[in-house]
Amino acid sequence: MIPVALAAVAALLFAQGAVRLRRRGRADVAGWDRAALFGLGLAVTVAALVGPMDRWSDTHLAVHMLQHVLIGDLAPALTIVAVRGPLLVFLLPAQVLAPLARSSRVRAVLSTVLRPRIAFGLWAANLAIWHVPYLYDLALRHDSVHYVEHACWVVAGLIVWTLLVDPGSHRRLTVGGRIALAAAMFAAGQVLTDVLVFSFHPLYPAYPGRTDQQLAGIAMMAEQLVTLGALAFVLLRPRMRAARLVHA
Amino acid sequence: MSPTDFSFEPAYIVVAVAASVAYVWSAGSDRPSRWRIAAFATGAFLLAAGLNSPLETIAAKRLLLVHLLQNALVADIAPALLLLGLTPAMKGWLARNGAQRIRARWAILAWLAAWYGTHLAGFYDWALDTGWALNIEHGLLIVGGLLFWWPLVSGRLGAPAALAYLGAAFVASSFLGLAFIFSSHPFYSFYEHAPRLWGFSAIRDQNLGGIAMNGEQTLVFLAAIGYYVSRLLREESVQGR
Repeated sequence: MIPVALAAVAALLFAQGAVRLRRRGRADVAGWDRAALFGLGLAVTVAALVGPMDRWSDTHLAVHMLQHVLIGDLAPALTIVAVRGPLLVFLLPAQVLAPLARSSRVRAVLSTVLRPRIAFGLWAANLAIWHVPYLYDLALRHDSVHYVEHACWVVAGLIVWTLLVDPGSHRRLTVGGRIALAAAMFAAGQVLTDVLVFSFHPLYPAYPGRTDQQLAGIAMMAEQLVTLGALAFVLLRPRMRAARLVHA
Repeated sequence: MSPTDFSFEPAYIVVAVAASVAYVWSAGSDRPSRWRIAAFATGAFLLAAGLNSPLETIAAKRLLLVHLLQNALVADIAPALLLLGLTPAMKGWLARNGAQRIRARWAILAWLAAWYGTHLAGFYDWALDTGWALNIEHGLLIVGGLLFWWPLVSGRLGAPAALAYLGAAFVASSFLGLAFIFSSHPFYSFYEHAPRLWGFSAIRDQNLGGIAMNGEQTLVFLAAIGYYVSRLLREESVQGR
């Protein structure tokens, strides 16, 4: 029930931030479309961690992989897109935000982990480490390790998607840099996909099916293609239009 | 026939030699750099050697794995290398003589049509059964490959459009390899009844063929995407100055 409780807290934070912004006459940046996106992000997380998907993930590697990419990729992407702009600042009540913003330690940690190379390194390390068969099995045998694993996916996803979406307009990366980060993430994911799809032997003792393992690789690739492909399309479309106008 | 015996598709020796002669003749007035010469020569070599060597024997008589690898070579890598070997003046000549009319959206469709069409079971088995029709299969793949790479190599597409083009092609073409990887029965009756090699069953051969095809495409497309991402970054850094 931990995921449901955390999702409820996130929903409450979003609601208070949206209400405060609307009261200030900024309904344009806190509309129902944002609420729908945020709600969808939370729903994806909860659906992945509670209910049938969580049960099936114990017996099917493909479902387990889908669970990871949903909580570590799609859900962070949706929630960060939902809070871009002023909502990002209003997400935390002023009483909580002010001390955090003043804390030099918090600022130092954030500015470090949001350096593109460090963020990508953390994301890729998380991807690689949790797919080491020993750790994968350990997480399956111990709930506490499994919670840590899922928390790592969520945090790593939030870090890279913060850079990709740039919700606070900090411009840590240019458009090209964001495309480069997305391409690097896809390439890193593709390495894991290839290991899973191209392997003729099951890599994880808990999941003996070879087809299941190959499907797990495909699930990862398909999800990345959807999320990172959509991002690339959104980022590149204005430039393609501009180039077409120049040619015309 | 031993797997190490040579088999030939002489048409493609003629094509490779003719292309090389035309290249050398054009290079007389427009000297290419060393890397361009290397790219063109490698492309011509892959085209000729890929279809005229023991690779052809194994591909046309024994293993689908090798045939799919051969197809990936002649459809993806050789055309790209041949075009990369052209100097700007050579590309300009081609553009003035018809290539300018090649639109990216049609090029990608033609490439995909060649890619999927030549691998349809009826066509593939017919080409293998007759032998001579392999020339048509490979010809379609080579022309498809040249059409596909032309909008990129000619510089017609800017970096953002090139990334979209490559991304779309990567996704659209990957289903064939995946179908081979995940299949549980042989698609081609020719290979079902062909003498086996290296102990591969027909289905293992087909699964491995899909892996080879997908692996090759992943490498080629990620390399091309990497190039255009770095170009996008260079363009931004120039604009930022």
